[in-house]
Amino acid sequence: MTNSFRAVCYASLAALCLMAVGCAPATPNKPDMSSPSSSGSAGSQGSAAGEGQRGGTRESTTGSSSLKELQEGKSTATPASSPLKDIFFDFDRADLRGDARDTLRANAAWLKSNPSARVEIEGHCDERGTNEYNLALGAKRAQSAKDYLVSLGIGGERLSTISYGEEIPVCREHAESCWHQNRRARFVVISGRPAS
Amino acid sequence: MMLRVAFTVLCLMMCPSLVAAQFKGEIVGQGGQKFPIAVSPLKNLNSGSDVARLSEGIADTMVHDLDLSGWFNVLDRSAYIENPQNSGITLGTFDFKNWSTIGAEGVVKGGFSVQGDEVTVELRLFDVYQNKERIGKRYVGKVKDYRRIAHKFVDEIINQFTGVPGIFNTRIAYVSTSGGRFKEIYVSHLDGSEKFQVTNNRTINLSPSWTPDGRSILYSSFKDRVQTLFLFELYSGREVKFPPRSGHYIGGKVSPDGQSVAASMEVAGNTNLFLLDRSGNVIRRLTDDRGIEVSPSWSPDGRQLVFVSDRSGSPQLYILDLASGKTRRLTYSGSYNTSPEWSPKGDKIVYTGRVGSRFAIFTISVDGGDPRKLTSEASDSEDPTWAPDGRFIAFSSNRAGRYQLYMMQAGGDNQRRLTGSGGDDTKPSWSPRLD
Repeated sequence: MTNSFRAVCYASLAALCLMAVGCAPATPNKPDMSSPSSSGSAGSQGSAAGEGQRGGTRESTTGSSSLKELQEGKSTATPASSPLKDIFFDFDRADLRGDARDTLRANAAWLKSNPSARVEIEGHCDERGTNEYNLALGAKRAQSAKDYLVSLGIGGERLSTISYGEEIPVCREHAESCWHQNRRARFVVISGRPAS
Repeated sequence: MMLRVAFTVLCLMMCPSLVAAQFKGEIVGQGGQKFPIAVSPLKNLNSGSDVARLSEGIADTMVHDLDLSGWFNVLDRSAYIENPQNSGITLGTFDFKNWSTIGAEGVVKGGFSVQGDEVTVELRLFDVYQNKERIGKRYVGKVKDYRRIAHKFVDEIINQFTGVPGIFNTRIAYVSTSGGRFKEIYVSHLDGSEKFQVTNNRTINLSPSWTPDGRSILYSSFKDRVQTLFLFELYSGREVKFPPRSGHYIGGKVSPDGQSVAASMEVAGNTNLFLLDRSGNVIRRLTDDRGIEVSPSWSPDGRQLVFVSDRSGSPQLYILDLASGKTRRLTYSGSYNTSPEWSPKGDKIVYTGRVGSRFAIFTISVDGGDPRKLTSEASDSEDPTWAPDGRFIAFSSNRAGRYQLYMMQAGGDNQRRLTGSGGDDTKPSWSPRLD
């Protein structure tokens, strides 16, 4: 990450964290008939991805890696204004739902218009099940996202993957309303200044 | 950082001719009658005051252990007739009637003398019915380590009753968030004493397991940003970091001979098992599948591994024979079976299975027969680990709110809480027997 981009990240992060927490639940759900998901509200990410494309024209940040956010005591939720949106998965699944493919197409479009950006794809899981299995499952999820982005023409050398399993959730309630938010892949720009 | 064990125990057999238990009550494990036993506070054998409260401290520790085992009915101290400071601690110097009257069939008596920071402790087990001494031991150690003396004597008592020593002179390694939002690894005795923090790197540390010599902990950590394995030597504080690979290590277990490590490593989204040496050099690849292969656990003879694979579409347990390379599926019931550990006796596997929306502890025979659910699905229980004698299982459960560690008999009886930290305590690994 360049220093200038890092500065942009940090300057906007505090406000964005609040926005991310405050705005996400208020995002209206778009019914997504193509999604096989039983956890419908995750489908809202498909509509949010459209903003992500337009987001390339204003100051934007994907936030830092979840581990870094955890260490700094910050929210590990992706900032609401991030041009790269999270995708979501069904329980114990790593295959891409329809809404996830929609989001990935939008993320791919942003990556094409920001060719210097390199992205680390984080795979995450909900708290249920065994830590080690979930670390492996998170890796599968991150790889699913990477493979699809590569199939859309993004160079694989720009995309790295890491799994945090169930270890760095965005919420900690013991209910499906929280769990589906944690079954995600997250996209963090690790180098290359976003276009502005 | 190192674990200080400047502790030596001199263990003197005082009645070496004694062999088999002659007690009236037989301990036969689950369903058996609990043996009524009294544990007297210890007699202070020198003139100094008992500033460290050893008299009751050593007795309390023995009472706690005996109770955790589930095999004893420890009689309440308030009913004891004898004054421990006025009565003798050897055969013929006290009255057995004081113990038979309150219903004790066995009584533990002892004395201690403190010199500087050292304590000498004598402990004896008497058969109240036959008016005989069954065990007599003398221990020398640091005053601050008095609990370990108590644990060792309880292991002797259990040996007397069952023919196999107890497991209270052991430790549990586990993951705890008690220090805040990070997951750090700790080691403590079963009663929570001598708690030692193995990691303090403010990241995520997972999957601690013991080397068979009980001297080192293998664990995974994100402390260098990407997850890898570390082997930490408790007594010296030395640590070996496994060399970085193209993939990410997820977890591993040291083999029963201590020479190799079965590890799971993720490369390009697929997690497979690898055989490594103790320094982390790859000896050979063990599985080659698209998908998830994690959580290997060695058979006691080191010839087989039980592990988790999602090759059937959901996580199930499989057994790999290392010589032939052949794999067979072990679990067929349930859609989510994980975290296996092979029993020290070799006959069973303990694991976590999903029941409805909850997780419970199960055992299954290595031939796939006799699957048994040991914990209630009213809450979640996960991460089982065998005691070194194969007669107890420790696990984590959220039955009282946050995840804490529990232990139970191997058949599921006598489920008892071990930890009460402010955070979540998970991923217990039971040590081998310690010196």
